[in-house]
Amino acid sequence: MIHDSLIRERLVTGDKTAADVTRDIARPILNQPTKAWKIGFTLSLIFLGIFGISLFYTLWTGIGVWNINKTVMWGWDITNFVFWVGIGHAGTLISAVLLLFRQKWRMSINRSAEAMTIFAVVCAAMFPVFHMGRVWVGYWALPLPNAFGSLWVNFNSPLLWDVFAISTYFSVSLLFWYIGLIPDIATIRDKVKTKTAKFWYGFFSMGWTGSTRTWARYELISLILAGLSTPLVLSVHTIVSTDFATSVVPGWHTTIFPPYFVAGAIFSGFGMVATLLVVARKVMNYENYITIGHLEAMTKIIMVTGSIVGIAYLTEFFIAWYSGNEYEQYAFSNRAFGPYWWAYWSMMSCNLLAPQVFWFKWARTTPWFIFTMSIVVNVGMWFERFVIIVTSLHRDYLPSSWVMYSGSLTEIGLFLGTFGIFFTCFFLFAKYMPVINMAEIKSILRNRE
Amino acid sequence: MGILDKNLSLRNRNKMLIGVWEDEDKLIEATDAMVHSGVHIHDIYTPYPVHGLDRIIGARRSRLARVAFLCGLTGFILMTTMIWYMYVLDWPVNVGNKPVRFTPSWIPVMFEGTVLCTAYGMGFFFFWRSRLLLGVKNDLLDERQTDDRMIMAIECNEGVNEADVLNIMKSNGAVECREMSHGVQTTI
Repeated sequence: MIHDSLIRERLVTGDKTAADVTRDIARPILNQPTKAWKIGFTLSLIFLGIFGISLFYTLWTGIGVWNINKTVMWGWDITNFVFWVGIGHAGTLISAVLLLFRQKWRMSINRSAEAMTIFAVVCAAMFPVFHMGRVWVGYWALPLPNAFGSLWVNFNSPLLWDVFAISTYFSVSLLFWYIGLIPDIATIRDKVKTKTAKFWYGFFSMGWTGSTRTWARYELISLILAGLSTPLVLSVHTIVSTDFATSVVPGWHTTIFPPYFVAGAIFSGFGMVATLLVVARKVMNYENYITIGHLEAMTKIIMVTGSIVGIAYLTEFFIAWYSGNEYEQYAFSNRAFGPYWWAYWSMMSCNLLAPQVFWFKWARTTPWFIFTMSIVVNVGMWFERFVIIVTSLHRDYLPSSWVMYSGSLTEIGLFLGTFGIFFTCFFLFAKYMPVINMAEIKSILRNRE
Repeated sequence: MGILDKNLSLRNRNKMLIGVWEDEDKLIEATDAMVHSGVHIHDIYTPYPVHGLDRIIGARRSRLARVAFLCGLTGFILMTTMIWYMYVLDWPVNVGNKPVRFTPSWIPVMFEGTVLCTAYGMGFFFFWRSRLLLGVKNDLLDERQTDDRMIMAIECNEGVNEADVLNIMKSNGAVECREMSHGVQTTI
């Protein structure tokens, strides 16, 4: 029996009707861009330009312009790859897992989270692709018949698993996102006035009419895609972790990596979603749709996953000591007390200690504070990857090859530049597509149970 | 091809009765009443999914799940065959003198291929079955059916008592009733 809930708080406040939802959420699309949008977009383009220059310099001169070397062969590039791919993995996980658990509060955040996935995976892919050096032969990573003899790719290598995993993940996330967008694109199609806009929204709405039979299939395909995406995300980030864990490098060779990386991905992903949505709800006047309740739910997940990641950090230390392996023990004591101690303690402070502040209700319900904390989480998660990669590599088995490593200007430029790619895509998305899933929001206006 | 068949377009139907609702509860009551009085509902168009409507109008349960399984199985077989051909048949690689056969290291690629084929196979089936195609012209009865209005469409075939249909619509909260003939709508 369906009835109005007397207990649960409303997920959409302000007594909105279906027409209000369309009007409010489609406003940025139907109106001229605001000043805030123009400033944000211009800044993003500047960072995109930095990416372009850094990439051109890298390709023109060669990978030697990066500071990576024989000992630290993975530096900022793979740090940035894991950072972005972690953010990317959270988007679909948020959308899919919360759908499977019937969490209706996801409806205000899933669209942005899915968009974030697509853009973050694009940013992530830049790094391993350009790390190849000769990017024009990047297709050698695919199992294609070739002119060099019967050589095939190595199916025992996690790096190859990554090629399959990330491309599958990107493709499936794109499909999931697009299918979810179709009803809303149709709504926009029926609202826009100009001929060009009508054509393009009409083209991508695929003739959607909102037929009952189509809705039934739509809900079923969403559910099955969510069911597929959940193990897919787990597998993809597990595979990213095996890029490290299957090597015989102290600090990487640990069985805890898969769950630890997955928890870290959810943690950093929610951090990035919070960064985006706290700003979007204010600038785009979505306070009635992304309520304090939504922010509070996200902060609780940030706190839980931050604590899981923290336990993983401590477990690594315990196992290094318990294993009795002196190389493992040295790798971890070097992390905390070696020359990169500042990176390690930044990671610990940002990821384990800082999120504990969310035990307090004030911290969970104050938007500016959540925004600040979300930046702290993002910084902490970047440091986590830097610590795992650089501190494990810079002092290897041969003390004669020990080196110190810091990113070159080009590497820093590429990293900052990926924020340009990410935010340029996000600003365009926010201008031309509904940031919140209108159709789903309309279905929960009555707060039914 | 069904998607592009103009005869299926609502605008080309001889005569249709259209009811417009603002409230989903009233729409469900009207649909229930319509089905109980033996009227065949062509379709109902809503801006968001109204749960239960498909069962009331007697829509058959979608076979998407079965298609998903078949596509997944295809993907699984394709990937297994691909790895076996490359790794065992065409160019066996000697890794520490271990026998060349299935190893757990095949599983990630097999799994990813299975998921990819399931998702895209099911996606294409969904688009085909729902007559969704990039660039296809929409077949709307009301511009607000994707915004805040719910539309019930009934085709006036032989045996449909139009007065009864209109009566059920109006007595169950329809805010507007229209008649459409060859794409031209008139309010009743």
